Amino acid sequence: MAIRHYWPTAAAAVGFRLVLVLFGGDLHLASRPEVSTPLTSLRRLAEGYWLKQASMSPYSGSMYHGSPLLLSVLGPLTNSRPDGHHAHVYSSLIFVAVDFLAAMLIRATGQKLQMARNRSLKSLDLTKALNNTANVSAGDVASLIYLWNPWAIVTCVGSCTSPIENLMVVTMIYGACSRLAPLAAFGYVMATHLSLYPAILIVPVILLLGYGPDAPPPKLFLLKGSSASKSDVPDNDKTGRLRGVQQFSWKPVLHFLFWLFIWTCYVLLLSSVVLKEVGGLHDMFEKTYGFILTVKDLSPNIGVLWYFFAEVFDFFRSFFLIVFNMNIIFMVLPLAIRLKHRPCFLAFVYTAIVAILKSYPSAGDSALYLGLLGLFANELAEMQFTFFLFFGYIGVSLLSPVMHNLWIWRGTGNANFYFATGLAYTCLQTVLIVESVSSMIKHDRKLRLLVTS
Amino acid sequence: MKSLAKQDTQPRPRLIVRLGVFLASHHILFSVICCSAGIIALFLLPSLAKNTYLSENALIPGSANPLFSTEDGIEANRFMKGIEAVAGDSIGGIDMANFIAQQIEDLGAEVCYHKFLPHSKHFHPLKFFTSMTNDMAIQPNGSDINFGINTIGIVRAPRGDGKEAIVLVTPYNSQRVQSNELLSLALGFSVFSLLSRAAWLSKDVVWLSADSQFGEYAAVSAWLNQYHNPVFLSHTVTLDTKMYGANHIYDGSSENKGFKTFKRAGTMAAALIFKIGETRRYGDRDSVMMYAEASNGQMPNLDLLNVIHYLAVHRQGFRVNVAAFSSLLSSAWLRVIAEIFHTLGSVLRKINPDWKLDIVVPDYVEGAANLANSIYNQALGVPTGSHGAFRDYQVDAVSLEFSPTFHVKNENAKSLFLLRGGRLIEGVVRSVNNLLEKFHQSFFLYFLTAPSKFISVGVYMIPFALLLAPLPIVAAALADGRNMEKTVDELIDDNKADGITDILQSKGGSWKWLQAAKVLFVIQLWAVLVSLIPYYITQIPDSTPLQSALIWIVLSVVILIALYVIFGSPYSAGVEWKLLKATMITSISIGLGLMSIINFATAQLGALIVIPMSLFSRPLKASGMSFLPRAVLLASNVAIAVLGFPPAMLLIMKGLSKGSWIGDIGDFWVWMEFLWEWSSATYLYIFLVHLPCWLLCIHVLLHPCHQPAEAKMKQE
Repeated sequence: MAIRHYWPTAAAAVGFRLVLVLFGGDLHLASRPEVSTPLTSLRRLAEGYWLKQASMSPYSGSMYHGSPLLLSVLGPLTNSRPDGHHAHVYSSLIFVAVDFLAAMLIRATGQKLQMARNRSLKSLDLTKALNNTANVSAGDVASLIYLWNPWAIVTCVGSCTSPIENLMVVTMIYGACSRLAPLAAFGYVMATHLSLYPAILIVPVILLLGYGPDAPPPKLFLLKGSSASKSDVPDNDKTGRLRGVQQFSWKPVLHFLFWLFIWTCYVLLLSSVVLKEVGGLHDMFEKTYGFILTVKDLSPNIGVLWYFFAEVFDFFRSFFLIVFNMNIIFMVLPLAIRLKHRPCFLAFVYTAIVAILKSYPSAGDSALYLGLLGLFANELAEMQFTFFLFFGYIGVSLLSPVMHNLWIWRGTGNANFYFATGLAYTCLQTVLIVESVSSMIKHDRKLRLLVTS
Repeated sequence: MKSLAKQDTQPRPRLIVRLGVFLASHHILFSVICCSAGIIALFLLPSLAKNTYLSENALIPGSANPLFSTEDGIEANRFMKGIEAVAGDSIGGIDMANFIAQQIEDLGAEVCYHKFLPHSKHFHPLKFFTSMTNDMAIQPNGSDINFGINTIGIVRAPRGDGKEAIVLVTPYNSQRVQSNELLSLALGFSVFSLLSRAAWLSKDVVWLSADSQFGEYAAVSAWLNQYHNPVFLSHTVTLDTKMYGANHIYDGSSENKGFKTFKRAGTMAAALIFKIGETRRYGDRDSVMMYAEASNGQMPNLDLLNVIHYLAVHRQGFRVNVAAFSSLLSSAWLRVIAEIFHTLGSVLRKINPDWKLDIVVPDYVEGAANLANSIYNQALGVPTGSHGAFRDYQVDAVSLEFSPTFHVKNENAKSLFLLRGGRLIEGVVRSVNNLLEKFHQSFFLYFLTAPSKFISVGVYMIPFALLLAPLPIVAAALADGRNMEKTVDELIDDNKADGITDILQSKGGSWKWLQAAKVLFVIQLWAVLVSLIPYYITQIPDSTPLQSALIWIVLSVVILIALYVIFGSPYSAGVEWKLLKATMITSISIGLGLMSIINFATAQLGALIVIPMSLFSRPLKASGMSFLPRAVLLASNVAIAVLGFPPAMLLIMKGLSKGSWIGDIGDFWVWMEFLWEWSSATYLYIFLVHLPCWLLCIHVLLHPCHQPAEAKMKQE
């Protein structure tokens, strides 16, 4: 079931962004802690570019913490300021295009997933069940969610570089879904280069390349095969079913690793060219990855780490840095084992976990995983607490600016007020992840029931 | 056998889930209990008020002997005579400003003028949110004839580093001089002259004699705006000629040229606005009225009020008042409630002597009247005086209005009054001068029931929380009604083989509310548009309030119809009324929760109307109840829906307060204009929370109610 009026709706979303960029005036979104973080702020990028133009290291001081490549791509655009528009209008126009591209890639990914889903359900003889249910076109839904998500819009208009990071992650997933190893490797290298955390997505990418897109658990196919063999079914049919069980194919994975190596070298080379004579790669690693991992900037954001590290005693700081950074790593393996047959969903879960636990989270990260969530609209149709989650997200996103205003501008509140919304937000995200994973597992169980009955 | 085994493996729902299910299944009882408890708790608030106490030790009010002596009183009289003479033969306000400046300069203090234009009325309802302090100060240029002049005197602290300042403000109307305003100027001057000689000052003192010909607030806020937004221009010459084009007023005397540059002291620690009132009530004691409510229910730190109250009552023998609803003081029903609470309280006291709820009836009535006024002023979101301008810059400020009991011609009584008033102000300055940090120890969020009694946020939140508590429960019960039943009864059956078809049919069931959310979205969009229309209506020249209001209403209806044409009418999609109601209730709980943070009093008053309206709403056509309860519910629904419509509410409020029941839609426009001019968040509340809720309520009431039946038929 395709979405009616898909293209007009998508075009309206792009148009809405353009209107906001061109005629929205100065919405001061760039100064909102929810929108731009020290890593993604375009104002900081402009400062870094200025430093570089003055033959200084863009990382001198503690202003810029982004990639040197962004500096040379977006830097020149931050310099010129057309009359009657806000400072970064050219960059914002690029971000609109980037968002649109990301949405299209999400749509294409969704179509690939849909095809894979139909194929595997067909091989399980579940097409009847498939026709009974609401079968929406997941790619359309996901891309529309991404395009019309208020947070994505705010991120796009609010002059920060998150849309580019999101695009790279989406590129990686798309590349892996369609088994384009060079594209997947490019997305992976760029995403990791820009914000480090997507590095853990190597697990789903390799699973995607190895096993192919999401499918019901391999056990089901075996089960089906065995039940079919009991009742005398011709041999060729049986093999047809068993074909549904994908074997891990090493070829695309090795291909991917090869391209990974090439793109890494290439990106490092480009970075060192950009940073030539104004500080080297060492400086870059220290000021980007080091800055991310050691949580140096304690200005408030929607995460929970700033508050924690502002409170923690200095001699425990390194211990807790290790704990918090390992926290993400700890979840990689168990989830990978449980969800290895659904690598795309695994990628969604990872991005959501990263959005909770990363050191400088922003609304843009949530925009990404909420968009990816749409890809599993059919599987998650029975997800619980959706009503609660939806209004919870709305409530938190309205509450956050109010609490910030109360603390910073009116002075009647304090840091705890703002942190409380951060906590509530983290809880909501946790509930979302838990519920989505459990309903995905339920969905698999249901498929098994249908197969066995 | 197989299914039995599976039943055993199926875990029981967790305790918290079972608790939630229990509450949801008794949601009607729960909401009735919570709502009535909330309303009772609200009426109990005056008995729960506590005595104020000083939190900040550094303040130590009254620890030093006041230095303000009769000589300062004589100084004040001399100043008064001088300024009366000047005021008598002055043409504009310029001579008075010159006289004040001259007097300040004679004291050896710094002086400067500040010229400002009257505040133009703008429509920016979100201004309170996008930090008020970022506006550029508008300077009068040569072409403007109509401008006000504030005169500012600054004493530099002998012991300070010039980083902090205390501000004293005396407003006077330069165009229409009155003797009591001159008296307050004289009082201000005498205190200032004393402070200019004080060796103990560690904070600068700024005395602002504010020209209130355009209102006190305009003068003070214009000065504060320029104080906090320095203009950096590279060409000082152009600045001089452009901004002070009207040079002729300074007579070109060389010494006065220094007055032109705007002078500043440090950041403001506190501000005290004092004026001597016109009305004299012949009581036994001179009294002081404290005004503290700033914009959007913000209050100064309670410690500032405590210091003033302590010094005024215990040192200088003033009677301190806060504003009250005088009509409540004589109301019979409040007295009855007070009697009931008193009786209940004394019974409770017998049970446990620590429960001190049995406050005497007059105290309760007075407390309730003060509390009502406090809530009303905070809920309106409009500052009660020029102290509101200070609060926008996070400066704690309070207005004092002295009501002397003597005749202005009575010299003896006047000098005694000046002595006491001067000592009071000196004492407050001295206390604030002792402060090492910004006021932060005591409460910012409180209601006053008496000058020395307050209700802190922890207590006054209880009635609101009780009112709000049923909302999530009812929303959960309605939104998840079927799922809940399922968790209780059918959860175990889920794994049975025949349950599979059930599972398949219920597929997508958990996303059904999306249709209701779409209706909510359309209505919220409509509300945003309606709240923005006045910006365009105000552009129409020469329109009467009635015309504006009519245009507003017509446009609103047109927009609503247009939105329904674009997005589809709410009933066409076949939304169940229960889901619609659940969505409405959730949106209200978000809206009220947000508003309670922005301006608690508005949320509290709004909750009293909105919450019954949303909880009782039930389609008129819905069946399944016996005649009597249904009729009662129907009648109450209609009544609340009428009451909830903002213009109707305004009419009723007006009728209750003034006794005139003649409705005029123009009044509504005037009232709204008043709210957005002061950038009150209440305007936003009415249009973004209350109005959508009311409209959704109407939708629920008029719901055709046949979709579920049809769906059932289809299923069968």
